[in-house]
Amino acid sequence: MAEEKKEVKSIDPATVEMIEKAASDGARVVFERAATMKPCPIGSEGSCCSMCSMGPCRVPLPKGKEETPEEKRKRVGVCGATPETIAARNFLRKTAAGAAAHSDHGRKVTEAFLLAAKGEAKGFQIKDEQKLLQVALDLGVEIGDRSNEEIAIDIGEMAYKDFGRQEGEILFGRRAPLKRQELWHKQGVYPRGVDREVVEAMHRTHMGVDQDYKSLLQQAARTSLADGWGGSMIATELQDIMFGTPSPVLSQINLGVLKEDEVNLIIHGHEPQLAEMLAVVTQDPEMIEYAKSKGAKGINLAGMCCTANEILMRHGVPIAGNFLQQELAIVTGALEAMVVDVQCIMQGIADIAKCFHTKIITTDPRAFIEGTTHIEFDERKAVDTARAIVKAAIDNFPNRGKNVRIPDVRSDLIAGFSHETINYLLGGLFLSSYRPLNDNIINGRIRGVAGVVGCNNVRVTHDDVHVTMVKELIKNDVLVLQTGCSAMACAKAGLMVPEAAAEFAGEGLAEVCQAVGIPPVLHLGSCVDNARILIAATAMVKDGGLGDDISDLPAAGAAPEWMSEKAISIGEYFVASGVFTVFGAAWPTLGNKEVTDFLFKDTEDLYGGMWAFEPDPIKAAQMMIAHIDKKRKALGIDKARERVLYDMAMRRELE
Amino acid sequence: MEYKVDKKESPGWGEVEVLGETYEEGRPEGEDLGRWRQKLASREEKLRYLENGERYWYGTEWFGSEKRKNPA
Repeated sequence: MAEEKKEVKSIDPATVEMIEKAASDGARVVFERAATMKPCPIGSEGSCCSMCSMGPCRVPLPKGKEETPEEKRKRVGVCGATPETIAARNFLRKTAAGAAAHSDHGRKVTEAFLLAAKGEAKGFQIKDEQKLLQVALDLGVEIGDRSNEEIAIDIGEMAYKDFGRQEGEILFGRRAPLKRQELWHKQGVYPRGVDREVVEAMHRTHMGVDQDYKSLLQQAARTSLADGWGGSMIATELQDIMFGTPSPVLSQINLGVLKEDEVNLIIHGHEPQLAEMLAVVTQDPEMIEYAKSKGAKGINLAGMCCTANEILMRHGVPIAGNFLQQELAIVTGALEAMVVDVQCIMQGIADIAKCFHTKIITTDPRAFIEGTTHIEFDERKAVDTARAIVKAAIDNFPNRGKNVRIPDVRSDLIAGFSHETINYLLGGLFLSSYRPLNDNIINGRIRGVAGVVGCNNVRVTHDDVHVTMVKELIKNDVLVLQTGCSAMACAKAGLMVPEAAAEFAGEGLAEVCQAVGIPPVLHLGSCVDNARILIAATAMVKDGGLGDDISDLPAAGAAPEWMSEKAISIGEYFVASGVFTVFGAAWPTLGNKEVTDFLFKDTEDLYGGMWAFEPDPIKAAQMMIAHIDKKRKALGIDKARERVLYDMAMRRELE
Repeated sequence: MEYKVDKKESPGWGEVEVLGETYEEGRPEGEDLGRWRQKLASREEKLRYLENGERYWYGTEWFGSEKRKNPA
């Protein structure tokens, strides 16, 4: 009898251990739900239209046979919408939802920033004057002898208005390479404010409006750019001013950071304001004493998802895990409270928490979960709210049961590689520069640069696709920049310490990493911090020697385990910024050849970047390397050239 | 800190002294250790750093790959 093939759910031993514990405890986690709930084959390929109540209309490709032109003509929705229109509308709506999520995060940060600048948010301040001055220069805000608060108020008000900019162009678009800006003008995608672009995207995809797939996809590019160079970039920059621009910091990651004898508190979600306060309040001796009075030895704050990245980058707070580990943290039985704000929070945590003593605390007025506790976070009373939350967690410590098992699995990582820090590390305080990076790309020690980002997706082996792809890239001398849950996967696999260069990187990349003292895989932050990758790419262009635009760089992007609509928006603004971008796991337009071909091929003619889909991480990495090599060839740096010392006669000949 | 000096054989030079590693042993601790931005104290210093270190956007004398081009 043939041996039954056992599905590998994760490459992470802590995750595997907790999946098994969940099964024995009768807790039904995402891995089990996914086994019984298969994805809808029509919806997953973008061939279902539910824009009106005459449908939903399904227009899938016929299986197993070629379609005649007559059959294709009939394969439309009841309103006559073609499969192209339906696929493109679905794609645009995903882009708009993703852009809205990042940008509403950015708006909330801007509101907190303005309160801090006006002195109305106790506990928040202007922490990074240098970043404040930098953004003031960007926005043309007068500096002179004005106080930081006065400058910050001007910046905050300009940023706030930028979300709703009805006409003109977003403020940070002017940071992009000049050639890129020209291209956006030419293609008609230089975005207005993100609110306007998202509303227009929703309008265009309403029943009976924009019914030309190329036009719909042009709006997808414009909407995503309003996210990447707009809402997301505003979030990153203002967070840096308020909480500090990240610098290298050593920490640990995985469920093993939870502590058996302390009150464990996880902050999960995306926005850093509350997390910053919790980082302060959990260090308060009065709160620690209170925890001791309940029988704990202390308070252990850990992060999950992108909030984790925010407080890791700035405080070194350890990370308990990435997206697919959120329920498993509860399954340890050692978690007193999981505090959540917005995005990527599974409703399943509420049900899992019922099997244990964990309190789920929602904190954002935009995100409630039925059956959980709500303690609303107000920036004006940030410290008080944080104290109330920590107290609730401590009060729950005596309720912890005996069914506790924390996996003894954790890895070291170094995070905190903002653009500013990379620039500093490469040249020092007096010679900060991307020149060493560009030179090492030109001389071939580094083949190129890849941004590998995105989520976890339960339809593929957890963390495996990220780690396999990144190992293949660094083995081939590609320096990898990471954000989000992808960064966490590679950190767990030990790729974010300097020692990883010698163990996993190709000879050339390892030499450079060892000389600079950096890991071959750099953690740049949360998912809004993909804006940092755009800035790093722009700095490479502006430094010179690698072309005039982001699309000239030997660079590529990927989100190999993506699942959220935010990933689509990120991928689309990477593409519209000139980056070849490969997605794994699934692709939402596969049900339509025309739309897929447009995104995978024709888009390169428009923006210099295009999409690709490849679920196999090695093949996907090889596609990225092939693209990097194509760009190296176009730049004339694909092979070593003999160095010739020109004498005067030879120089005269040149003229 | 005391400098560590290793002795190595050099072709034609016999035994020579070579400066050893200059990093400090052990693991860094605390969130402030990796921070470099506090080295810049005054506003003037910070603005000067921006003009030089972040010259790609704020330099007045920077002639990188695109300053010779027409504005977008």
